[in-house]
Amino acid sequence: MQVNKVGISLIAFFGLGGLAIAAVPLFVSIPAEAALTTSLLGGIWALVGLGLLLYARHSQRKAARNDRIFQSGIRGTATVLYAASHSRVNDMPLMSLRLDLEVPGLPTREVKRREVMPVFAAARMQPGLTLPVYVDPADPDEFILVW
Amino acid sequence: MPDLESSYGELAAARGLEPLPAAAPGPLTPLLVEAEGAPLRPALRGELGEGVEGVVGHLAYTRNRTFRFNVALAEVPAATAFAPRVFCIRRGRRTRDDEFYGFGPRHSKLWTESTVLNERYAVTTSPYQDPIWLRQLFSPSFIDWLRTAEPADFSFELAYGALLGSVEEDDPGPDGLAALCDATARVATRIREECEE
Repeated sequence: MQVNKVGISLIAFFGLGGLAIAAVPLFVSIPAEAALTTSLLGGIWALVGLGLLLYARHSQRKAARNDRIFQSGIRGTATVLYAASHSRVNDMPLMSLRLDLEVPGLPTREVKRREVMPVFAAARMQPGLTLPVYVDPADPDEFILVW
Repeated sequence: MPDLESSYGELAAARGLEPLPAAAPGPLTPLLVEAEGAPLRPALRGELGEGVEGVVGHLAYTRNRTFRFNVALAEVPAATAFAPRVFCIRRGRRTRDDEFYGFGPRHSKLWTESTVLNERYAVTTSPYQDPIWLRQLFSPSFIDWLRTAEPADFSFELAYGALLGSVEEDDPGPDGLAALCDATARVATRIREECEE
């Protein structure tokens, strides 16, 4: 789970493209007003590229953390107590879940989790549904819900 | 579609299945989500095989063109705690991949441990599916059966306890429908066995 070619292309397109546009007035003689507009446009593009780069790094760290918990976490179960969706991300429901976590060696506790899921998964998130979870033994608040 | 009706009629007579005016299973699996609530019509209810109860029916829905499947739906509720979703889709079947915009994690992962199985199917699961349980489910004998299973275009989707076997033919005839029921029942039985282990 990492940034794919589309992600890298988007970062390169906006980041390098923005820098190139911003640099145009340095190499081409154009009126001051046009130079300012060009630099601003390039700067905005470069900022978008930087934002995407930061988001990609955040996603990669999150994926690495999830992989680590999956490899070394304690396996338990999560029973859905409440599930609802009031918004969508990329045409998929953003589910707000309240779960009852049962993990060997840890007290049973109620936790909240928000997950973006495909429609068929979201439709099945009903109270009583039991799903596997992996909990970080070093920090029981960190867990992966296997849905 | 008189031929299709008669195929289902013959299947109902041969297996003692109960004809239904239509069945609306809801968005239980990716294929049923794709169908956007289209009903199964014709549809039959009863024992698919090996003691597995379910519904078999014809699913047709239109996007840019009309897609037709014959599907058999059974319940394996115990599977959710072990494998929330396992999709075993015939290679070459066109399905919509999970949404992935280049940055976020994918919602599914290809299971490629069995080369033989992967020659015929693309098997996808949750990214955090327990690999040991999956390895046990896809035992050598089950893989061997799946590799040669009839019908040739058989695929299945297991999602939160709902098992949907499907074939892409418009009208597979009564024998083809019977083979679909048998294959779905066989998969349901195998999953149940592994859940009870």
